[in-house]
Amino acid sequence: MTRAPASPHLDVRNVMWLLAAMVIVVAPHLVRLPYWVAVFFLVVVSWRGWIAWAAMHHPSRWITALLTIAAAAATWFQYGRIFGREAGVTLLIVMSSLKLLEMRTQREVTLSIHLGFFLVLTNFLFSQTIPLGLYMLVCVWIFVATLVGFNRVGSTPTLAQRLRPAAALLAQSLPLMVAFFILFPRATGPLWALPQDMRAGSTGLSETMAPGNISNLIKSDALAFRVQFEGDRPAYSKLYWRGPVMTEFDGVTWSVGRSGAGSAAYSRRDQRKTYTVTLEPHNKTWLFALDVPAVLPSGAYMLNDLEVRDSRPVTERKRYEMSSYLDYRYGDRATPGNLQAALRFDPSRNPRAVALARQWKAESADTRALLAKAFQFYNRDFTYTLDPPPLDRFNPYDDFLFETKKGFCEHYAGSFALIMRAAGIPSRVVTGYQGGEVNPINNELTVRQADAHAWVEIWLADEGWLRVDPTGAVSPLRVESGVNAALGPIGVMSSLIAADPLGVLGRVRNAWQAMNSQWDQWVVGYDTSKQRQFFTSLGFPSVDWRTLGFWLLAATFVVGGAITLGLLVRDRPPRREAAVVAWNRFCGKLARAGLVRAPSEGPIDFLSRVERARPALAENAGDITRRYVEARYGSGATKQELRELARRVREFRPA
Amino acid sequence: MIANLRQSISDWIFRAKAPESPPVTLVQRRIFILPTKQGYAFAFTMLILLLSSINYALSLGFILSFTLVSMAGVAMLHTWRNLAHLKLRPGRCDPVFAGEIAHFGVTVETPALTRFSIAVRRGRDEAVYADVAPHEITAIALPEAATRRGIARCGRLEIFTRYPVGLFHAWSYVDFDLKVVVYPRPDPAAGSPPERSRRTSEEGIPVAGDEEFHMLRAYRPGDAPKLIAWKALAREQELLTKEFSATASSELWLDWEEAYAPGIEARLSVLAQWVIQAERFGQSYGLRLPGVEIAPGRGEPHRARCLEALALFDPLAS
Repeated sequence: MTRAPASPHLDVRNVMWLLAAMVIVVAPHLVRLPYWVAVFFLVVVSWRGWIAWAAMHHPSRWITALLTIAAAAATWFQYGRIFGREAGVTLLIVMSSLKLLEMRTQREVTLSIHLGFFLVLTNFLFSQTIPLGLYMLVCVWIFVATLVGFNRVGSTPTLAQRLRPAAALLAQSLPLMVAFFILFPRATGPLWALPQDMRAGSTGLSETMAPGNISNLIKSDALAFRVQFEGDRPAYSKLYWRGPVMTEFDGVTWSVGRSGAGSAAYSRRDQRKTYTVTLEPHNKTWLFALDVPAVLPSGAYMLNDLEVRDSRPVTERKRYEMSSYLDYRYGDRATPGNLQAALRFDPSRNPRAVALARQWKAESADTRALLAKAFQFYNRDFTYTLDPPPLDRFNPYDDFLFETKKGFCEHYAGSFALIMRAAGIPSRVVTGYQGGEVNPINNELTVRQADAHAWVEIWLADEGWLRVDPTGAVSPLRVESGVNAALGPIGVMSSLIAADPLGVLGRVRNAWQAMNSQWDQWVVGYDTSKQRQFFTSLGFPSVDWRTLGFWLLAATFVVGGAITLGLLVRDRPPRREAAVVAWNRFCGKLARAGLVRAPSEGPIDFLSRVERARPALAENAGDITRRYVEARYGSGATKQELRELARRVREFRPA
Repeated sequence: MIANLRQSISDWIFRAKAPESPPVTLVQRRIFILPTKQGYAFAFTMLILLLSSINYALSLGFILSFTLVSMAGVAMLHTWRNLAHLKLRPGRCDPVFAGEIAHFGVTVETPALTRFSIAVRRGRDEAVYADVAPHEITAIALPEAATRRGIARCGRLEIFTRYPVGLFHAWSYVDFDLKVVVYPRPDPAAGSPPERSRRTSEEGIPVAGDEEFHMLRAYRPGDAPKLIAWKALAREQELLTKEFSATASSELWLDWEEAYAPGIEARLSVLAQWVIQAERFGQSYGLRLPGVEIAPGRGEPHRARCLEALALFDPLAS
């Protein structure tokens, strides 16, 4: 038993727990924020640890104030603002560390722990994957354990005495959390404006393409989108997922032109294919579809170069249904204006490529012959590689076509489109994704950034716009089987899977991806429509907030009641020994006869009092008392002896 | 004004009831529970977390908020359970001398599970914390500086807990009417009881001998070491020698009339010192106060009886 001081001074071990919890929760941020944030945070936290450990004085208010100003200024210089995702999180982290530094009282401890919970939330602004979710669960566990430690007054808890109650609290809160998660009404839009850089850093295609762009992108194993086909999956070589179409060209960079919205007339030659795309946020408006899009999701529109765009940038995971015609003819009634844009180029740039194109045009009888020449050229001695050598800044395509001859899809597409324009054939570059990876577990097609691709469309008078993939001429495998087949495994994971002869890793990866898909759909992507879908599947087609509220309340009562019951049952005293029950009954009988045993009176003392007061009872009472004492305090009693004791008590008549 | 109103409302709700007979089991209707300041701050943080989750459409943010909110709800049950079904009994309330620290004792027992950080306090005093393990009787002693002789009353006790996470304060009141008898502060200057208060029996003058303790006298060189009053020496009094008389009939009366000192309390202090001295030397002594007379005797219960009489002496009653 110890006395707690009026303002409990902070226990060293508790402070260390809190500091450790803060470091663990901030760790994922430290990796992605500027390095000075990590240095600042860790130095300040270590300082606080040292203060607690060596019982040092806290720094004066002056120093803390100075550090606060310095941290805010550094944030400002880093980002040019103090709001927004990165800047806000940076500021929150440095300020939390300073709060820890001046933490002296229980109240400031509470504040720090609440800041810790908020820091958990900020991690979700960057990622909501299963591993991060589990990591953050551990963080919350440690924070709750820290709270438990701070609330153990008068004794120091062991490791288990911190972690176990915290685990029990969290485990018991699980059912209610699930009920709230399912039932809590979801809003359809943000309550206040989101910061501009909310989704910064998401990878994806951009409005421009220059040599090097896509090969950087392709090194990322990040998910682009997933596709679930209705019915059969089309052939691999048909899986051209159309993204931004680039018509403008300045000699180096291809960029998206000012294509108008409007009719993109095409004629179809087969049944349409329907599929559902789950698109990762990429902060741009375009949606990906197979050529040519037939029915668009609501809110989306199509430009006359067949680019499908959403009305708002895709800042959250988006799921849409789409259908396409894979066999089509399109653009045979193209307007001259469009074709004009598709012929423009700067003849002063890449002069050797232009000269070569003109030479081919002069030598060729018709367009087909010219195309054959071009394909022959690419087929001869070009290498498909992810690490092409750097190119000349002003004439990159000359450098590529005649010197290095090593390139990736954007080199082939860019140079091919240039040659076509120089030869008088309208052409443009289309970027997007090609192929994907089929997960046999849920039959879903996973398209990664590594599947990013660029190809060319040329316009022929009798055919309309025609897809030409010069990369296929160099590396047919790329188009038929995917980038991993063409280049060898990209990235550590793919290398490991390729090296695994039994295919176990591959299966594990497929299972993992299938799980992630479910997670993304039902947990991360659980919104108003998913909520409605869930209730419809349960047989409640229309659910308003009142019903939700009722069920929430009901769940709270049921779960709360169950937990209370569980807590009380565990706290019941152990079943009392039969001897004690018999003895209590014996004492009860004597009490009714006027002989009340004092709480402090032992059995032997009580017996002697009974003997004195009622000599007639001495024999029976003595017998019972001796049996009880032997059973309870002596060598114990068999079941038979206990029954005998109970019988004698039953037959005992003090009156 | 508002503070007063709150106080009177709280007094009315938790109005004192008659002292209870032990043991008291904290059944659920006796237990009150409310959020602490930390609890309200936690609720505010949860609101911010939830609003942020809604705004940024963070599903894992929802999971975080709901987990913590449910955790708080579960913690409320745990806090309540931490207090529920504890069995309280009055504990030791040993008498003290004025100027010492009195301790009001209560004992706490739990039916099955260990209860952590159970606190007991009187009014707004500092709380005393203890962990209560099963199959044990945990004693909690609440200290109070005993300044005046008489009876120190403990008053109503608040037993509370905030374990495990400090978001809720569960409490209950219990009043065992605990009392500590505060003896008068002994007057160290009083010395030994005066000669005059010695009454010899009719048999005559005490004879020097070694049968029974008679009195203390100043040390003279040559006295046997076993006769030296070591206890008195230890209290930094002078070196004294115990003198024993052959007669068993020597009786010492500690008389109010002979304890000369200014004022009633001072007299009681002198008498208290005499009682302590007489008991220490194993002498048989009696106490005579206005309206009170305690026949001569010896031993711890007798000493306690005499000191209690001094503690409870009421000059107006006599």
